[in-house]
Amino acid sequence: MRYSFIKPREKRLISAEFQLLFFFFSITVGMLFASYSYLKIKTIMYESNVETLLAKEETLRQNIVDMHGKIAFIEIEKQHSEGIYTANTVLKESIHNLFDLVPEKITLSQALLKEDELVLYGVTPSKEVYEYLLLAPLRSIFHRSYTSYYAMPNGWYSFVSKNYLDRELAVQ
Amino acid sequence: MKFHISRQMIYILALAVVCLIVVFVFAFTVLIPSGKEYRLARMEAKKVSYQVDIIQAEYDNVYEKLKALQADNRHIIGAYKTIFNPDRFRKMYEKHFESFTLSELARHSKDGEFTVYEVNTSSLIQSPQGFYDFLDAVNKSDNITGINFPIHFERDANLIKSSFTMHVYIAGQKSKTDETKVE
Repeated sequence: MRYSFIKPREKRLISAEFQLLFFFFSITVGMLFASYSYLKIKTIMYESNVETLLAKEETLRQNIVDMHGKIAFIEIEKQHSEGIYTANTVLKESIHNLFDLVPEKITLSQALLKEDELVLYGVTPSKEVYEYLLLAPLRSIFHRSYTSYYAMPNGWYSFVSKNYLDRELAVQ
Repeated sequence: MKFHISRQMIYILALAVVCLIVVFVFAFTVLIPSGKEYRLARMEAKKVSYQVDIIQAEYDNVYEKLKALQADNRHIIGAYKTIFNPDRFRKMYEKHFESFTLSELARHSKDGEFTVYEVNTSSLIQSPQGFYDFLDAVNKSDNITGINFPIHFERDANLIKSSFTMHVYIAGQKSKTDETKVE
């Protein structure tokens, strides 16, 4: 027997209003978590990126220091080698000049070149020839010149000429 | 007029308020701080990236300079590293002399960053020109070689007997003492 003319509403554990409310709050909470996750992931990525960049920066700085060291050493090598090459060239010019200095009339038998000293052994037809043609130019180069003559049976003289450069005077 | 609120409506409103509170608490205690953290991390990354760009530019600049210097001074750099070989040296330069002999190489001293080895030579030359040519050529040798005093010339019949010392400079001996052996 029916007591009502309408069909009875079906009873639910959660009503439609509750479901609607849950649905919207679920979306809200989901969006909040999604935002939070996004921020967290991006933060971790940035932090990781910063660590990588800092490591790269440190490596680059170390490499720059190393390269500056290499550059400095090459500069030292360059300067040092140029000094040696120049000294070799100067030495060549000095020996060239020395042999050019000796006139044809005088014959050298020995020459000893030291840093501040030149010792010449040779033969000269006369003391005057030696003094005018060799001693004079030697005196213009060296600060002190000493010559010993030894008479030879043929009337010529063998000589030993010691010439010194005084380093202190040379600096002045 | 009487306004009737059903019990279910009260439950819904209560739940809505609770959910709203949860949302606000979550937003203020978790989301906003993590947002700040994110912003700081992003700023820090940008700052560090900018610094690295500057250092990278400096690195490139220094690298270019080093490469150019190495290219310009390749011979010198190689010469300071080359092990002195007396036989090779003699073969290369004996053309300037009638005879050319070298003594054994001996460690002599230190000259700053370089180790100096000394070698005594004796030779016979026909004219001083041979010695001049040798001095010109030695500047292009495989080693950094300096001719040193005393230099002795002595007449020997039609030839000139000469003797002199040479200094050979080798770099990097601080770290390569055992590595670089002179033959």
